[in-house]
Amino acid sequence: MTKMPGKFSRIAIANRGEVAVRIIKACEELGIETVLLHSEADINSRAYRMATKTICIGPAPTAESYLSIPANVNGALAAGAQAIHPGFGFLSENADFAEAVEKAGMTFIGPSAESIRSLGDKVHCKELAKKAGLPLVPGYQGENQEVAHLIQQAEKIGYPVIVKAAAGGGGRGMKLITNSADAAELIESAQREAQSAFGSPKVFLEKYLDRAKHIEFQIFGDSSGQVIHFFDRECSVQRRHQKIIEEATSPSLTDDLRRRMGEAACAIATVGKYKGAGTVEFLLQDGEFYLLEVNTRLQVEHPVTEEVMGVDLVKMQILTAQGDFIHDPKQVRIPRGHSIECRIYAENPFMGGVPSTGLLGHVEWPEGPGRRYEYGFDQGDVITPFYDPMIAKVIVWDENRPRAIQKMIRVLKDSVVFGVHTNIPYLIEILSHKEFVMGTMTTRFIETYFAEALKEPALSETEKKIAEGALLQLRGGGASEAAMATSPWSSFWRGI
Amino acid sequence: MEVKVRIDGVDHKAQAQLMKGTLWVHVNGRTFTMDSGTGQKSRKKAGAGGSSDTVSAPMPGKVTKLLVQSGTAVKVGQAVLVMEAMKMEYTLKCEIDGTIDSISCAVGDQVALGKALVKIKPSAEK
Repeated sequence: MTKMPGKFSRIAIANRGEVAVRIIKACEELGIETVLLHSEADINSRAYRMATKTICIGPAPTAESYLSIPANVNGALAAGAQAIHPGFGFLSENADFAEAVEKAGMTFIGPSAESIRSLGDKVHCKELAKKAGLPLVPGYQGENQEVAHLIQQAEKIGYPVIVKAAAGGGGRGMKLITNSADAAELIESAQREAQSAFGSPKVFLEKYLDRAKHIEFQIFGDSSGQVIHFFDRECSVQRRHQKIIEEATSPSLTDDLRRRMGEAACAIATVGKYKGAGTVEFLLQDGEFYLLEVNTRLQVEHPVTEEVMGVDLVKMQILTAQGDFIHDPKQVRIPRGHSIECRIYAENPFMGGVPSTGLLGHVEWPEGPGRRYEYGFDQGDVITPFYDPMIAKVIVWDENRPRAIQKMIRVLKDSVVFGVHTNIPYLIEILSHKEFVMGTMTTRFIETYFAEALKEPALSETEKKIAEGALLQLRGGGASEAAMATSPWSSFWRGI
Repeated sequence: MEVKVRIDGVDHKAQAQLMKGTLWVHVNGRTFTMDSGTGQKSRKKAGAGGSSDTVSAPMPGKVTKLLVQSGTAVKVGQAVLVMEAMKMEYTLKCEIDGTIDSISCAVGDQVALGKALVKIKPSAEK
């Protein structure tokens, strides 16, 4: 019994970083005011500066701010919002949150609490999929969460086994177990990560497919309950089960597979009475596909779908929640060209990807045709250790995949981030790798080819001279001949 | 800021910025850092290398689990503690055989980059 919410004039955003900015932009275009529900740590961010209103809902630790249901609901109520957009991560797939928002008289921008429970909980989803006849990966999804019992189940499935957070997504609370010796440690670690990231330690087990591709379908249920899909994305490039590079559409699907997987995605979403934007994830191995999970929210990689389909999924979400979005049956939906997204992480690729935090210096995202940037921080903002290391996303579109790859490499080379290290050199290496270029990569691509930390190339003589000249100029020395014999720095460059 | 550096009569354009003693340079599609005091390429921060009898924090973050106590015998590659930063867990392992000499952190501590967390007394035999 849902009441028709009517048009929103103010929407609260229960999120941070680049996705909060993305939602604010959609609201601005629709003439809707925004309220950013933020933690104390996030006052130096673009979303904070862009939102119509801001309300601090708690200190930096996520459990006391972004993961607190009462803090978010009360903040939104106090600001007079009629709806809450949860973004992705945090409370976006939390049915209790969706329910609390509705109970407080506001609209949750996303599927119903009931849909989240049936589809979003990885365990219930599998039961539903079984009924709907979707192929599943063998595994254990029981209620017994004792470590000893889980180990027993893992042995039964046969290693390698993957342990995952039941309430999770985005790679957190997910570990690969290859032998019984590590099982206990990894299961406990997954449970802790699950608790920390999603507020529930529940995990489940799955047989690990060792040469699978990760392929997902963007689904969308309109206000009338009709579900259609907006084609597929491939996200096989993952590290520690976290996606790094995503693209639309997948270079690996035949027309027949694409049709069957799309139908399966819509089937399970329809059974789950899905409303709004969601993603049905599959693993594809040896021409067979298996349901992985359903993400009952907007996805980090939604822009690549937007680029090839010519749609705005966030605006569609808001309009659907308002009760006035119906799929246009006359609209022909065919993907056009190719789009790639790279996630920019604040980490040092030359030190095995350890997080890099600190004050952001000069930042530059150069404009050009077919380039799109989603970022949450500007020069002068601080990247803190409290949250996800993803600070931006770079998205490109071009007429075909080879050209999109070429464009992405150029764009990444032109992008400048000072103050924190980023994975940009790592991304460029991946994009240039033969297997990626051929499109044959599996979810083990990174561990196979990029297991070691990148080796930092030595500086060339020219680079050293440029650095020397730059330093002189920054210190007020003015334009200079770098190689001046009188340079106080010249001695430093010798013998490096 | 944008700088122009002339080398052998050719102007090279670059972006450069000095931040807390570190020079950041972006030129020809590459970003690198240098220690502006020594003119050396920025050293890997403490913790990455660290001395092998010390396990230090490779990043700022929170200690979430201690897997050893003072006096515990440890082997190369054995996990000694778990840290969390940016919502990911990192298991820190020891690089030598020995016994745990001292632990200078507690579960729940927020620790800085490079902080020494666990000291190991190397095994007597080499």
